[in-house]
Amino acid sequence: MSYLILKRSFRRLISSSSSIHFQNPSFKSQCHHFCSSHLKNTIQASGYHSFWKRCRGSVLFSANYLKISSFGPSERFFGSGAAVELSSSDGLTVEGIIAKQWPIVEESVSDWKSHASSIAQSIHLIKKRLKWKKLEVRLAILSSQLEKPDLWDDPIHAGKINREHGSLVNKVKAIKVYEQELFEHIDMIKLAREENDPNMESESMKALASMRKSIKEKELEALLAGEHDSCSCFIEVQAGAGGTESMDWASMVMQMYKMWAQHRGYRVTVVDVMPGEMAGIKRATIKVDGEYAFGYAKAEVGVHRLVRISPFDSGKRRHTSFAAVAVIPILDDGATTHFQINESDLRVERMRAGGAGGQHVNTTESAVRITHIPTGISASCQNERSQHQNKASAMSVLQSRLDQLEIVRHAQANAQHTQSLNDISWGNQIRSYVLHPYRMVKDLRTNYEVSDPDSVLEGDLDAFIFSFLSASMDKDEDDL
Amino acid sequence: MKLSFAPSSFASIITPIFTQSKIHTRPISYSSISTRPTSLKPKTPLFLRPPTYSTTVSELQKWHNWAQTLASSVGSTFLESDNGPTSENLKREVVWLLEDVLENPKSNLIDNCGFNDGGDFVKLRVELGDLYVLWKQRVEERRPFQYVVGCEHWRDLVLSVEEGVLIPRPETEKIVDLVSDIIEGNEMLKEGLWADLGTGSGALAIGIGRVLGSNGRVIASDLSDIAVRVASFNVQRYNLQDKIVIRQGSWFEPLKEAEGELAGLVSNPPYIPSGHISGLQAEVAKYEPRLALDGGEDGMGDLLQLCTGAASMLRPGGYFAFETNGEDQCKFLLNHMETKTKGVFYDLKIVSDFAGIQRFVTGFKVK
Ligand SMILES: C[S@@+](CC[C@H](N)C(=O)[O-])C[C@H]1O[C@@H](n2cnc3c(N)ncnc32)[C@H](O)[C@@H]1O
Repeated sequence: MSYLILKRSFRRLISSSSSIHFQNPSFKSQCHHFCSSHLKNTIQASGYHSFWKRCRGSVLFSANYLKISSFGPSERFFGSGAAVELSSSDGLTVEGIIAKQWPIVEESVSDWKSHASSIAQSIHLIKKRLKWKKLEVRLAILSSQLEKPDLWDDPIHAGKINREHGSLVNKVKAIKVYEQELFEHIDMIKLAREENDPNMESESMKALASMRKSIKEKELEALLAGEHDSCSCFIEVQAGAGGTESMDWASMVMQMYKMWAQHRGYRVTVVDVMPGEMAGIKRATIKVDGEYAFGYAKAEVGVHRLVRISPFDSGKRRHTSFAAVAVIPILDDGATTHFQINESDLRVERMRAGGAGGQHVNTTESAVRITHIPTGISASCQNERSQHQNKASAMSVLQSRLDQLEIVRHAQANAQHTQSLNDISWGNQIRSYVLHPYRMVKDLRTNYEVSDPDSVLEGDLDAFIFSFLSASMDKDEDDL
Repeated sequence: MKLSFAPSSFASIITPIFTQSKIHTRPISYSSISTRPTSLKPKTPLFLRPPTYSTTVSELQKWHNWAQTLASSVGSTFLESDNGPTSENLKREVVWLLEDVLENPKSNLIDNCGFNDGGDFVKLRVELGDLYVLWKQRVEERRPFQYVVGCEHWRDLVLSVEEGVLIPRPETEKIVDLVSDIIEGNEMLKEGLWADLGTGSGALAIGIGRVLGSNGRVIASDLSDIAVRVASFNVQRYNLQDKIVIRQGSWFEPLKEAEGELAGLVSNPPYIPSGHISGLQAEVAKYEPRLALDGGEDGMGDLLQLCTGAASMLRPGGYFAFETNGEDQCKFLLNHMETKTKGVFYDLKIVSDFAGIQRFVTGFKVK
């Protein structure tokens, strides 16, 4: 029985499975991989017979079995944590494809080598962004810990290990599924050519092209793979030295982030503002609610510099001012790095309370400051309409600031992005906004620049954020 | 712990009795922006009115700029003259006023830094012209912001207020915290009958009603008929009418039948010495009811009356918390209770507010 017929029956098998409706839409492709990975093994080992039986089995069996079989690939490939290098039937690997340096042409051109080359590069990039080697080492450590019989004696620790393991396994799995799919399509195209089947070839070519597009999108997602990236966050801005001009700059920066966040569909609330005497702000904190707010905003940490003719200078001279930006993740309740706050360690104070208070005074100002006495860290809020709400809001800022301390203490991956305002040195300039004598915004870390400062100040920041995130994640070849 | 209410009297206390109040005979000229309490029905706070008016974003923008400029013109003059609001306070109030009158305040239309562009229409809960009048009243006539919008945010509540009813103060929020801590693990207090005397807007009664257990009840009293109406309105808005009754009358008089049965008693009675009232900031002196502020010559008249009442009204083990004018009144009261009503109370304490001022006196009736 020829290899060709085998492939054909396999194809029929796969298409027939689509007539069965499964809860899990990814099942079909999973089954596809499952079967095709067996394909190679079985041709060499036990021949067609056992392969056929298995494939048919997986389709004809009940949905229960199918559910189980959809876990098949992950167990086979990743259960042990071992890095099995996947390849096409003629031994082509991802690294192999990259080494061939096939030119990458437009997506619309039906050139499988171009598609394959682009996909291989995406896989390579995503692995790098996920810090693949470290990830595999970590996964091996976690797997061995999970096997310890006394693990669940400490359920909190065990839960933490279990969660982290699960999330790493998912990441590895996703990449392996891509690799598998890539080789699958390559094999099919080669086969179609041998067999002279243009339909089959164009079908696989299309699949390859669409895969190329979808994995390109995953490159961006992989930029936000840090432990806290998916969290909401606080963004804090503080004016540098230089009086009203830099306080005005600080409020422009804050406005830029508000607009950026709103465009992205995040909910923005002002938590704490210390206004300048004449204009602008000395310091302010906003809360940005939504998925990946921290992941993106962390790219903005550092000092932002403005050069312009100051509207506050009657002499119309050029001024340079600075504003520092800090970003603090708001950890989920389930997070493991939560700082445990003792009620008795807190001091709550009413701010700006003059005079006798109580019935003597009518005021809408009910700002409070909460200080965590042992660390000296404090937070305040005055923008809510009741003292109770100001207290609750200040408390959530305080919790996040203390969590941040904990993150830094644990020296986690994102620690460099979670400096508090006090830790940011004014020398750490990350971006320069020039309104005069020429107009330009330039990121000093990536050299990315645009010539339209207005759009940037209106919140058009994504290009800066992405270029920084990719530059900072892609620089290290070692990570792969 | 066994609950030992006499069921009959408890039930009669809990049945709402809305005392007939004097009918105003003069013609009612009720305007949405009237500053005088002329209506029998409590006024509807702005944020609860239907959004039946509309204007353009640019017209509203104009109002906003005007309102901010008016706020800026104040600088710190009010602060210096009578400890009144600063520009900064007033500017924040502009944002809140908009929040209350806009149909969709959480849209991106406004944030604390101003407006986004747009020539679209927006729906308002008052006419744009009235919005000008309201803000003028706030800044030029020093009408309290809370009377302008008809509500005060207090703890997690939004309470309706109007002229004739004291605007609840942030300091007073703490009494609910104290009660909430005290009833923790004490079934008798948690499921018992509480009283809030001089309830005003009903703030303490509602705050406490929401922390008590499912059998806990609150009776609140006030001498002022406007207070009784406003408090009843607020109780209903929070759907607590089965848990809280409001009665009109002087201090303990409307709850005589609960003598010796109160599990808890709270009050923020008038405590300002009569002579001080005219010197208070304009928002208070010109607009808030004297009945709610004036505590007699030394400000202690009502507090002392409440102390005496507490001795007979509380059941053994019952808890009380009173708000005072500050350190002197706290100490005086504590000393009074330790000497004049010796052996009646225990665990007497002075508790400070968040500004560090000794504000509350608390204690328990002996068991
Ligand atoms: C300072 S206000 C407190 C209002 C409310 N409990 C609060 O904290 O916002 C004092 C209240 O006591 C009421 N009051 C004054 N004299 C009274 C009396 N003799 N009997 C009952 N209530 C009285 C006033 O009408 C006013 O509502």
